Amino acid sequence: MQKDDFSKSYVVEGKLALPYTYFAGRVGSTFLTTLRDQKKIMGVQCNQCEKIFVPPRQTCERCLSDIRDNWVPIENSGEVVNFTVVREQDKHLPRKTPYILGLIKLDGADTPMVHIIDGIDPEKITEGVRVRAVYTNESDPSILYIDHFEPISS
Amino acid sequence: MGEYYGIDVADIFNSMASRFRPEGAEGVDAAIGYDVGENGRWMLSVRQNQMSVDRCDDLSGCDVVVRVDGQTFVGLNVGKIDAMAALGAAKLKVEGDFNLFAATGKMFTKYVPAGQEVAPEQELLMVKRTISVKQRFATGPIMGTFLQGLKEKKILAIQCPQCGRLQSPPREICAPCRVRNDQWVEIGPAGEMRMLEYCYYASPDPLTGETRETPYGAIGILLDGCRNDEVFWHLLRPDQLDEVQMGIVMGEKVVHGSRLRPVWSDNRTGSINDIKYFEIDK
Repeated sequence: MQKDDFSKSYVVEGKLALPYTYFAGRVGSTFLTTLRDQKKIMGVQCNQCEKIFVPPRQTCERCLSDIRDNWVPIENSGEVVNFTVVREQDKHLPRKTPYILGLIKLDGADTPMVHIIDGIDPEKITEGVRVRAVYTNESDPSILYIDHFEPISS
Repeated sequence: MGEYYGIDVADIFNSMASRFRPEGAEGVDAAIGYDVGENGRWMLSVRQNQMSVDRCDDLSGCDVVVRVDGQTFVGLNVGKIDAMAALGAAKLKVEGDFNLFAATGKMFTKYVPAGQEVAPEQELLMVKRTISVKQRFATGPIMGTFLQGLKEKKILAIQCPQCGRLQSPPREICAPCRVRNDQWVEIGPAGEMRMLEYCYYASPDPLTGETRETPYGAIGILLDGCRNDEVFWHLLRPDQLDEVQMGIVMGEKVVHGSRLRPVWSDNRTGSINDIKYFEIDK
């Protein structure tokens, strides 16, 4: 067998279409419509553990209590507790690379949330930077009702 | 005066003004009579997107008269009774213009008993998307030879130099012998039905994401020139799903299945779809 004979080899180019439906659920929908209509971030609190979750969730991760109705208001500002810089461009990404994806712990929340940090050089971002939410209405239902977080100049 | 389901018949008429939807009464100019048996009689007048309803014993001037008992009337208004069922059971009789009676459904919002108003349903968010992923399938020399064969209406198998086993679609290696396959053999194209999988759920094609119609038959065919379990997998002509006979070998006993032949695609590109499906060779 002439294993180096590639005369009959060829490549089939395909394009895989993946339809999907994302349903935000009741808790997620309340969170998102509040972002959209009131430009306010809401979390839920576990009455037993006192932990405040942002983004909100239906069940406490520790004690499994149902916490879906325990809404508490959260500040629009917080602190970058961790970050990464996205450098590889891909068409499904929400921004042109490079951009910063930060873990932001909002004031009043016990859990950090992931979002885009803009308005600061990706090479200059550090942990501990104070940021605030910038809203937009130009979004499909998603966390991108917050367009990005920007540094608060002190 | 009776109450049914805890609701007074008169309350339904008295609340009509507040439940009236002028947009639902567009172009209606009519009088509708309600004869609710011992509970009394009412006349509803609708004209120029306005309405009025009053007790009225004489319903002779109405365009339509609805005769119904109190229980059924309240049941219809609170959604406990279906109008068609009530008509069928003759608990509800409509004398006159039936279409006018049917149109009253659009003229009013649903009756909700006092104290039972429900909060508006929460807005629930949903996003539908289709993402597109680029896929690439490199055939390599062995699969490439097989697929090029299909283009020429040939089904090729590769043979192990040690055990003589045929594989189609071909693999580079004979796994049991751990040797490189080196001999091409043309098999089929007709053969005998050996196995049928009746498939109700189609997985998406990894190259396109499209799914074929269900149910479909995934079949194992023992093509001419092949032996034992050297079956070739393909599709069965959809309308012959319940017509084919499956073959089976149990020790000495051999039951032959239907003879099948491939149906080739007119536009062959060197793909497994160059065979559309196999059909019964009659």
